[in-house]
Amino acid sequence: MRVATLFLVLVLFLPLAQATTESSWTHEFEDGYITTKPLIVDDSVYVRTSGFWTGDARPVVVAFDVQSGEEHWRFTSQTSLQHDMAPLLYAEQGSGDCGSWQDLLIVGWADGKVTAHSTKDGALVWENQTEIDQIGITGSMLIEGDQVIIPTRTGLSSFCLADGEEILNVDVGFIGWRNGVTAIEEGFVFGDESGNLHTVLRNGSVFSTHLGDGKIRHAPLDTRHGLFVHLQTEEGSTLFLNGSVLASVGQSPAIPLMHENRIYAATSDEWISILCDEDTCSIEATEPFHSNGELALRIVGTEIEVWAHSNTVSGGWGIFNQTAFVRMENSLFNTYGTAAPGFGPGVIAYGNDAGVLKVTSESSEPLDEEKTSVNILGGIHYAAVISLFLFTCWSLAHRDIKQLAKVGSAFLLLIAIAVVPELSLKLAEQTSPNGEAEWNPSWPDEWLGTQVIVFEIDGEEHAIGGLDPQQTVYDLTMIACDELGIETEIEQQYFGAYLVSFNGSVGDGWEFTLDGSRSQVGMTEAQLNDTSIVEWRPA
Amino acid sequence: MLSAIGTHGPTVSPTTMMVLNVILFIIGAWLLIKPQDGKQTWLWPLLVLASLASASRIAMGFIPNVMPVTILAVMVGSKFGAQRGFAFAILVTLASNAVLGHGWWSLFQILGWGSVAILASMVKVHDEEGILSMSQLAFASLWSVPVFSIIVSLSIIDAGMSPIEFGLYLVNGLLYDLLHFLGNLFFAMWFGQWFERLLNMNQPHHQIVQQENGHVSTF
Repeated sequence: MRVATLFLVLVLFLPLAQATTESSWTHEFEDGYITTKPLIVDDSVYVRTSGFWTGDARPVVVAFDVQSGEEHWRFTSQTSLQHDMAPLLYAEQGSGDCGSWQDLLIVGWADGKVTAHSTKDGALVWENQTEIDQIGITGSMLIEGDQVIIPTRTGLSSFCLADGEEILNVDVGFIGWRNGVTAIEEGFVFGDESGNLHTVLRNGSVFSTHLGDGKIRHAPLDTRHGLFVHLQTEEGSTLFLNGSVLASVGQSPAIPLMHENRIYAATSDEWISILCDEDTCSIEATEPFHSNGELALRIVGTEIEVWAHSNTVSGGWGIFNQTAFVRMENSLFNTYGTAAPGFGPGVIAYGNDAGVLKVTSESSEPLDEEKTSVNILGGIHYAAVISLFLFTCWSLAHRDIKQLAKVGSAFLLLIAIAVVPELSLKLAEQTSPNGEAEWNPSWPDEWLGTQVIVFEIDGEEHAIGGLDPQQTVYDLTMIACDELGIETEIEQQYFGAYLVSFNGSVGDGWEFTLDGSRSQVGMTEAQLNDTSIVEWRPA
Repeated sequence: MLSAIGTHGPTVSPTTMMVLNVILFIIGAWLLIKPQDGKQTWLWPLLVLASLASASRIAMGFIPNVMPVTILAVMVGSKFGAQRGFAFAILVTLASNAVLGHGWWSLFQILGWGSVAILASMVKVHDEEGILSMSQLAFASLWSVPVFSIIVSLSIIDAGMSPIEFGLYLVNGLLYDLLHFLGNLFFAMWFGQWFERLLNMNQPHHQIVQQENGHVSTF
């Protein structure tokens, strides 16, 4: 009976060891884009829409329940008619010289208004007005002490968080766009549309530097070697460090970000990793990529991920480590986009130019309760391995062969379950035959050095190259089919994802080769390099 | 006939699959009904163990190759003979793949576990008195793995696959074969005697008592 119970427990409860929660919901805004990062705070996700508003449509800020997608509250601006590009800002409750405040969501509007809302119900706590020159606030704001620092259209203002009273108002005489502000030791710095960098001291004094002909459309980064600026120019863009040119790169720069000793930037042509060592900062790695909006950083365990929205028709988010492209994160609603994803504990919120918000609870970073349960399971696994090892030693010492067989087999099994999947992947990499796919001379030279994929459907060959680099055969296939207008049907089967048909053609099934060789693994597992050639043919 | 997930096996249309399943089920039923020499009362134990094996295979599907099916095929084959053992393989595969997914591989899984059961009917894990030998069962945990693994791997072969590619496929599976062996060993050591009681569930009580009294693990 005891053994029967043990078996039952094993069969029924072992699946829980891999139980993962992967829930998601989407909300599609009828009007406008999502061009700024959704903000996740506690159990809510806050998102704003942006657009050029006509008729009755107006921009909104909405709070949703992060798990269920239920709408908590919504605030509609009746006066902001231009693109609202200022990211939402959360101010945790506190107090200072100018009073105390509750948890606030600060919103900068394209009509120059600043509104502060209760995070609970969206109630307007205070509002104030900044200068406008056709347009108002479009840059990222920041909190310092009891004030919110706001880059206005023509300068900088600060407001008391408690009541919205204006404390500082500086006009620099130049207009700005997405002119985010950064706090430095001396005060605050921001750029403008004329290539000037302005430093506003806390007493209101202003010092300006002209970097070059171009536009500064991000908050400067305060590195240990001076301010980093990515200047958008007519020809492309220029990286500046402490007023000196670092490098010239592609067009339409994204909003760079800094983490530890690295700066990450992007343009229409590349993703860039810049290393700041003891002496200076210099480009360490670039990857072909097209990103023009916000970048975001996510820390997963000891690894970092830099997320860049692919501002292309195929959309998606490129995920990079410190120096290289890692993979694409795609969704069913991929399209152009510039908004970075918002990250919360175990939650990712994606927004794009189609006005679609998607919030997923990730299996790899479970919510607190799930994380606890995974930790517990991990702990149990660890404790079981240690206990079984000790018990195995004890059985060996006592020459209890029967007991040794039992605990030893359990010990070895637990070890094997932990290591075999990873080892097997390594083995597959080592034993993959090095086939060579043949380059077709009829393919354009622009495809050289990029991933190319070929489909032979109903005797007709469809090929495409020069796409954003993808991580797996599955990713490349999906994006290529999207570009070529090929319909796909995929089923999840016993062995994994199974491609049923291209353009409705099932035939006797489909097979792919990767660089001329059959893969030892499925299409979702088959890894690509930057110049892989994938060929799909009828089986 | 390789399919869209890389190394896979032929695509079988739903109609073909249904026909194949019906044929396999009929074969399984025939193997159960067909008279066989031997005095064991086999029907209920076999059905109970087939249900147990199917349920546990589904429940433990997330750990690749760790399931009690192979060791049960060994025990059923050894206890009830090749015919019932093969029927057991058919029942378990059809039942569990109804959830996990049917395909060309189902046929080879049946052949794999069926072959294990047939071999076990020859290389028995029970002694002449019908008492389970744990050492033989532990040994069967090992030899059953390549038998099953190679037969199931044959399912991926098609006209375009070279022997080297097939060899590489087998090499890539070695670590999972190790996992399969350790899983078999675990189930043998921890649940072997309990499975044996289920196999003997319809035997006259005095015979079980006699066996229990006479049982000394030969491991």
